[in-house]
Amino acid sequence: MAHKITRKMDLNSEDFYVEVEAPLVAERFRAGNFVVLITVPHGERIPMSIMKAEDGKISMFIKKLGKTSWELYKSLDQFEHVIGPMGKPIDVKKYGRVVVASDLVCGHAENYALCKALKEAGNYVISFQTFPTAEEVYPEEVLARPVCDEYHLTTEDGSKGEEGHYLDILEEMLESGEKIDIIFAGGSLPNLKELGDLTKDYNIPTIVTVRQIMVDASGMCGACRVFVDGEMQLACIDGPMFDAHKIDWDAALRRPMMYVEQEKIAYERCKKLGRC
Amino acid sequence: MAIKPRVPVREQPVEQRIHNFDSVPYGYNEEEAMAEAQRCIQCPDPPTCEAGCPVRIKIKDMNRLIAEGKFKEAYLLVKKAHAFPACTGRVCPQEDQCEGACILTKVGQPINIGKLEAFVADWAREHGVEEEGITEEREEKVAIIGSGPAGLACAADLRKFGFKVTIFETLHKPGGVLVYGIPNFRLPKEIVEYEINKLIEMGVEIKLNITIGQNISFEELKRDYDAIFLGTGAGAPQFMGIEGEKLNGVYSANEFLIRANLMKAYLFPEWDTPISVGKRVGVIGAGNVAMDAARTALRLGAEEVYIIYRRKMEYSPARNEEIEHAREEGIIFKELVNPVRFIGDENGWVKGVELIKMELGEKDSSGRPRPVPIKGSEFVMELDTVIEALGTVPNRLFLSRTPGLKTDRKGVIQVDDNLMTSIEGVFGGGDAISGAATVIKALGEGRRAAEAIKEYIDSKKKK
Repeated sequence: MAHKITRKMDLNSEDFYVEVEAPLVAERFRAGNFVVLITVPHGERIPMSIMKAEDGKISMFIKKLGKTSWELYKSLDQFEHVIGPMGKPIDVKKYGRVVVASDLVCGHAENYALCKALKEAGNYVISFQTFPTAEEVYPEEVLARPVCDEYHLTTEDGSKGEEGHYLDILEEMLESGEKIDIIFAGGSLPNLKELGDLTKDYNIPTIVTVRQIMVDASGMCGACRVFVDGEMQLACIDGPMFDAHKIDWDAALRRPMMYVEQEKIAYERCKKLGRC
Repeated sequence: MAIKPRVPVREQPVEQRIHNFDSVPYGYNEEEAMAEAQRCIQCPDPPTCEAGCPVRIKIKDMNRLIAEGKFKEAYLLVKKAHAFPACTGRVCPQEDQCEGACILTKVGQPINIGKLEAFVADWAREHGVEEEGITEEREEKVAIIGSGPAGLACAADLRKFGFKVTIFETLHKPGGVLVYGIPNFRLPKEIVEYEINKLIEMGVEIKLNITIGQNISFEELKRDYDAIFLGTGAGAPQFMGIEGEKLNGVYSANEFLIRANLMKAYLFPEWDTPISVGKRVGVIGAGNVAMDAARTALRLGAEEVYIIYRRKMEYSPARNEEIEHAREEGIIFKELVNPVRFIGDENGWVKGVELIKMELGEKDSSGRPRPVPIKGSEFVMELDTVIEALGTVPNRLFLSRTPGLKTDRKGVIQVDDNLMTSIEGVFGGGDAISGAATVIKALGEGRRAAEAIKEYIDSKKKK
């Protein structure tokens, strides 16, 4: 059942790229879907965004954060399970002028997949990818440039591409009266909240990925509950993308912090074993 | 006539078992089982115990065979009624079924039918008893969605009829609630694995990590199989819907138990999945799942664990054995109280619950007195972990992606007398068609559906 890793490479000092054989997932993947990974037999179930799905393989961007990701980076050449596609795909149709924005690892993966699907549907797609400095910018081959119509690489210190976060540049665009029909975004949750605050004033539909802790990722446990317009929704089956204007952000920002202590313990132990 | 008391069941001592997840009862050995079975007075037919059994196990004959030391024969007899006696012997609510109907309850203690059933199954497993094989191979293919009790039971019988059987399971381990829900201390996982491996040896194919409607469409399945059985269970949790449910430290029992059982969080950090258990844990509800969650929390290091129940424990739907075991282990029962809201600290973690006192009123539709809040009786209880065990409903993931399937308002799949759903050739059983019920009911329905599927395929062939 194991899934062979066919390519692994550094994206920057923190993030890496993984390509793995997963024919069933690759065949059925649609933009907005995610995958559940179990790296080792004793592993946890980790939801992960997909950058692209081609030739029976899927590609992902992963941040070296804790035990699972470090061990994967350092010691593994296969996954125990690759499960999916999970989640609800976005409604891929012609909206007009579409913005896709991201500022963190999984968001960047989604950026590519969303741009590709939305462009194929006949939209004019404007992609924003924000990195802190030139040093963190990913290799050109994985950026969304070739799958969109207008590409904005931005760095927060201006050391490469345009200067500033996508939020700043987007705000200028909106102030200048540029027409945007819909925005899709992923990455840092606090920034997605801010994005929602910004676009609400302009009345632009804004669909964002609400990354939450998941266990079964099939609607059974309720761990990933997100409150949208006062209603409880599950990120795993109703999402992971929701209307940024309707999300209870306080709860969504808090829930991913639940296992910070345990994550440290698992990582330290793995490091001692020489696998992380 | 003086009736001897039950042969006691040896159990792991309390002070030892609250630190591990091993089985609490050790079960009967041969001598004990024979002695217990010899207490059976072999009532004239029809015996009341069998009428109390949802799958009509020939209990009287089982008892007689055990009493005579014919364990293999006793096992094969039980297996004629259903596929997984090692499981039901441990998880059936016997006091409401066979044992509750045992004539001896009128004069003393009923026969310990549950432990005898588990004994014959364990004995057969330890002695490698083989059952009859497949009579004739058939060409027709049946797909089973869900590998819980209903699906497994249906698969076992369909395979015996000779059909090609494939089970599709969303999770990465088969067994459904037997694996993700019921803790090891109540149902050791090696027992479930043994039973599932038997099915695989018989030729049942199990495809893991597949969600029908998500990564394989229901339409594809209909095209490729002669019949389909839906054993999709009732796996989605219900929440109270009160203030503070968004706080960290508030779990559904489903999540808590999936982490502990399926993902083995009790072995963290050897296993990767974490679980968070505070010093004072409150479990809302008093059914079997609540007992499981409370006892799991205790084993994970909680200092005080409360069952918070709006009625009195005598009205709890949990098995007597679980309530007894929980009490012995030091679980504290807070009766006649109901949560009003959960209270959080400045970091968004739960730190307490506001409860309101209840009193019992008129009987409600469940036949139990309705709990009524006492105005102005609210008080706060400090807790750092809350587990809501309020029952489950069918998972809407599968339902939302299966057009044409008739359900009720809660998503319970509607079936006819032959367990056929609103879609021709598609049958259902277990919690998916009844909301949330028992393992034995699911096993019985899986079996009945297998019969119905055979008839359906045979009749289609004749046409």
